[in-house]
Amino acid sequence: MQLHIVPGGELPIYRQIMHQITDAIAGGRLSRGDKLPSQRDLAEQLVISPLTVKKAYDELEREGVIETRRGRGTFIDAAAEAVDPARQRRRLRGDVRRLLIQAHLAGVPLADVRRLLSEVAKEIQAERRGV
Amino acid sequence: MKIAQFQDIHRAYKKGVDVLAGVSFGVGPGEIVALLGRNGAGKTTLIRIAMGMMEAQTGSVRVFGLDPRKDAVEVKRRVGYVSEDQILPPFLKVSQVVELHRGLFPTWDDDLARRLGARFAIDPEAKIKTLSKGQARQVALLCAVAHRPELLILDEPAGGLDPAARREFLETSIRLLNESGTSILFSSHYMSDVERMADRVVMLEGGRVLIDSALDDLRESYSLALITAGPEVTRERLLGLAGCLAVRQRAGSLHAIFQLDPEEAREVLDSALGIGDMRTTSIALEEMFIELLGGHGVEATGGPP
Repeated sequence: MQLHIVPGGELPIYRQIMHQITDAIAGGRLSRGDKLPSQRDLAEQLVISPLTVKKAYDELEREGVIETRRGRGTFIDAAAEAVDPARQRRRLRGDVRRLLIQAHLAGVPLADVRRLLSEVAKEIQAERRGV
Repeated sequence: MKIAQFQDIHRAYKKGVDVLAGVSFGVGPGEIVALLGRNGAGKTTLIRIAMGMMEAQTGSVRVFGLDPRKDAVEVKRRVGYVSEDQILPPFLKVSQVVELHRGLFPTWDDDLARRLGARFAIDPEAKIKTLSKGQARQVALLCAVAHRPELLILDEPAGGLDPAARREFLETSIRLLNESGTSILFSSHYMSDVERMADRVVMLEGGRVLIDSALDDLRESYSLALITAGPEVTRERLLGLAGCLAVRQRAGSLHAIFQLDPEEAREVLDSALGIGDMRTTSIALEEMFIELLGGHGVEATGGPP
């Protein structure tokens, strides 16, 4: 799995890492038992502080999403269903809010936004079938 | 124990003009601390004091629990140091400069020096004066880290480097930290580098520490509110609100920094002043730097409406 971080983005880097990992589980790109890169490797790969990676992994472990087995590495511990759907929805809510504010400012009515949503959803489905 | 500890450091260049007026903070083991502030805020002075190159007039600095002036040799052997204005002997070959440093440090790691040399792809036979700025800085970094220092002190290390050379510099620093558990204290004006690397941020202003905070906390518990100024909505009233740290006036609008997350800031503004026309957002380090350190008081409100 590839992680991509944006320094100075809306979220601190440790949260960007956490979200990308839980999103990958929810979307089926990571599943229980998959191995994650070591904290050191990930810090070097992303060119970020090792303590930032540690913080992301510690939080995910506390939430039961990943598990560190001594001497063996860090693994996904949660099944897709276990990634708290209420929590995912809360996060999406923020994105939806931003989208609707943008639409409002641009004078695009809600009905058009709904239409856009289903059009884009179809596009994404088509892309996924193509892969 | 802290790797480096500054305690109530005072330093004036001219009598009565304090560059540092009581600075205290520490660097923990394995921690990356960024020192931020405008030009002249005293970052370099502080770093020179830590290196034993200058003395604090009052207050104390300890590096590995030692005094960098009294235990100069011991401290220097365990520290790596690179600065923007560092000058390597221009007529020596790269290999001679490396050899010179090798002789100074008992813990010099030949294998690491070779690996870095190969990675930077700099001709060991080249004279320093023929190197580009980026290559010269890489030689300086190699010389600063090949003895596997416990503390790496970087004074504006990326100054004048192109983005690729900067990234390479950061990568090497992270790798060293990973391999040897090195702590890093660095000053930089590149906020994207700071966002990427720093665990903690120490912001200097007026000779004092304005902010000393984990970077993540800074990003999650501060916000910027953009508000339209009006007769009821003034800089003074905003400054009186709970959590408001600073307000700048920019032609017709007010920029307020709150030590609250964006939702909380919105609530405070709404309930205290009934302001509807505003925007509150989380704030990136670059904006925070500008809002907190970028000129004080009321700015000229002239200019085009």
